[in-house]
Amino acid sequence: MAESRAARAAVPAGARNGALRAWDDAVRLFAHVPFGVSLLAVWAFLTLIGVVIEQGRDPSFYAGAYAPPIARLIVRLDLDNIYHSPAYIIVLGLIICSMAAATFTKVIPRRIPRLNPVKIDAIPLHATLRVPGEADAVRERVGAFFAERGWQVRKRAFGGTEWTFADKSNWARRGVLIAHVGFVLIAAGTTIYWAKGYSGQFAVLSGQTATIPQSGTKVDLERFGYRIDPVRTKAGVVYQPIDYVSDVKVTGADGAARQAVIRVNHPYDANGTLIYQSTYGFAIDFRLTKNGAPVAGPDHPLKEGEGFTVDGTARSIQYQRFVGTIDRATGMPGADPRPNDPGVIIVAYDGNRPIGQALMPLGRPIDLGAGYRLEAARYVLYSGFQYRYDPGIPVVGIGAFVLLAGLCISLYWVPARLFVLVRDAGAGASEVGLAATTVKGYDVFEDRFAELVDALRRGTERSDPRPVQGAPHASPV
Amino acid sequence: MDPTRQMIDQGLLVVGIAAYVTAALLLFGYFLLRSAAMRTIGIPLAILGCLAQFAELGARWWMTGVWPLTNLYGSLSLFSAVAVAIFLIFAFRYDLAFAGGPVLAIAAVALGYATTWNEGYMPAVPALQSYWIKIHVPIVITAYASFMVAFCVALVFLLKAYAEQRYATRPPNVRGVAATPGGPAVDLTVSAYAARPALGMPRGLRNDTPATAQAAAAGDAFAQWLDGLPTLARLDVMQYRIVAVGLPLLSLGIITGAMWAKEAWGAYWQWDPKETAALISWIVYAAYMHLHTRPEWRGVKTAWVGVLGFASIVFCYLGVNIWISGLHSYKM
Repeated sequence: MAESRAARAAVPAGARNGALRAWDDAVRLFAHVPFGVSLLAVWAFLTLIGVVIEQGRDPSFYAGAYAPPIARLIVRLDLDNIYHSPAYIIVLGLIICSMAAATFTKVIPRRIPRLNPVKIDAIPLHATLRVPGEADAVRERVGAFFAERGWQVRKRAFGGTEWTFADKSNWARRGVLIAHVGFVLIAAGTTIYWAKGYSGQFAVLSGQTATIPQSGTKVDLERFGYRIDPVRTKAGVVYQPIDYVSDVKVTGADGAARQAVIRVNHPYDANGTLIYQSTYGFAIDFRLTKNGAPVAGPDHPLKEGEGFTVDGTARSIQYQRFVGTIDRATGMPGADPRPNDPGVIIVAYDGNRPIGQALMPLGRPIDLGAGYRLEAARYVLYSGFQYRYDPGIPVVGIGAFVLLAGLCISLYWVPARLFVLVRDAGAGASEVGLAATTVKGYDVFEDRFAELVDALRRGTERSDPRPVQGAPHASPV
Repeated sequence: MDPTRQMIDQGLLVVGIAAYVTAALLLFGYFLLRSAAMRTIGIPLAILGCLAQFAELGARWWMTGVWPLTNLYGSLSLFSAVAVAIFLIFAFRYDLAFAGGPVLAIAAVALGYATTWNEGYMPAVPALQSYWIKIHVPIVITAYASFMVAFCVALVFLLKAYAEQRYATRPPNVRGVAATPGGPAVDLTVSAYAARPALGMPRGLRNDTPATAQAAAAGDAFAQWLDGLPTLARLDVMQYRIVAVGLPLLSLGIITGAMWAKEAWGAYWQWDPKETAALISWIVYAAYMHLHTRPEWRGVKTAWVGVLGFASIVFCYLGVNIWISGLHSYKM
């Protein structure tokens, strides 16, 4: 403590003032609404880049899809992974700083004017009513009128003149603060996931087991089923996927095994790690022979996109995709994805160079040359799963609803204050001058003010049974 | 589906489109000519079209047992129906009938375009087989529809603002007296506001220029037409109020979408093009709300932000669905 005091004393006063001024300038800049909106514009622009440019692909993809200078720019500027790029995170950080500065310097201190006399005619929303009755009685009636309608009425005397002040929805000033808190909570929840959460995906063949490395949870796929229905539409028959179902046995880190059914929209919760049905496919058991004798080929059924090298050659084979039905008339892939007369499309490579592709029916070997024959012997269904552990979700969820609540409060409740001055107008009548101010300007309250003035005029006319000298005059000026 | 049911479906669709097209023409007529008769016929036609559309969506659901919002046809149908419903609510509450022409025209175009995506009756793909589709989609579509109505009000605002600006910037010898040779003299020193109620004249919106009122008083037909529109301040408040309906709904739509995504795909946010496009729209409308707090920005600038916001909605709704593939690329 003593040290810090000494250190502070050692800093020249001028430098300290300069730093304070710089801090004040920075806070003022960040609290400035157009600056905050500029940050929102930059955020929107960066997000738009992420929509237009496909994210998370290999550099070769961009090289193929764009002109070379643009492809290089995309990769070098992280535009291929923009949502996790430093620029994006910095902009989000600046927005949070801007919200914090605006919240603490503008939103929280923002007050509607104090309970002081005002020049009623100088406030754009103002009206003057002439109502029957003595000033004191009218003042009471006016106060009661606003109190009945939920306004908080207070009276103050200034230099012998009594003013009536009425407030409504003053609490709603905090709506913007609440919305900003919600945004910060969402950011905090996301950060919790980055710090402690994990996610991934795996595919498991029917009858086999996969393990989630982070939690040690084992997933045995006992059976995978799918349903694809032909549906007649205006454009012809369409094969519509209806259901994907995985019957699994899930063994947690505690060793306890549980049967589960996982399907789309119905994830399984394995001690906080949620497992989701994601994809499915047909793995193929390839058999390779040379001069009729089996040779080493792939040691497991291959999934789409996987391949193997033919031993002793520079050639490799990639299993590109499964064809459910080969059209017998054309020998080409048919529209029906269900395995009626199945086949596979393979691509042959010489080194990295593709040298041809072929559609081979299941169970019928094809000649690869040099005595090699390849057969797609059978297919095995596999199921693709995603898993995710996200301890930040409750915080994000609360943040989302706090943000929404703040938005609704700030948009649907208008904190307003009325200034009312009742003066004796002679001839047994009084003049009621009233003006309204809100934290959102005047236009947004115009209709309600007009309704209020109208109701007040009718209310004060009705509540005074005494005869009126001269016609009552109400003029929302 | 049997032919009778199909005929009911098609009949309601035809009634909807015909009612919208006619109502659009009549309400454009009301906007241009201020003919009360056109409004008197146009509004009930808009109601008829809206009811026919809701009935058509309901009938589809009832006859097929499939929630009708699983494809672009269904969602565009709901979009136009809800947009017309929102317009009607505001028309009755805030006298918004003058904006009915563009609203009904866009609704008719959306519905006509929707029919090109009508493939018939298809069961939903597994990802769409969730109760969330009955919560998330209507909320988001209602938000889009609100923004469409707000966009139409912004167009009227901009039309009036720029037209008034022209009167305000004309040299004195061509406005007022000189604009109508032989007409009555107009005192250019008197503010038009003096003759109007003083309720609500904020700084940022004082471009209801005296020049327009003066030119109108001098017999300038366009100025008279212009002067008959609501004040810029009122148009701005209407746009704000409609955006204030859409923004919380869009927020809620994004939140419910995130909840559904967590259930279906494992993560509440995947940076899918549709999600991010919705986020962009949300940012634009959040910017609108922030700028609207500043008197110096309120008015023409915020109206343009509203136009930009609706452009972002169109991109999010149709652009992403049609041109960009992602997790939301279901069979349309």
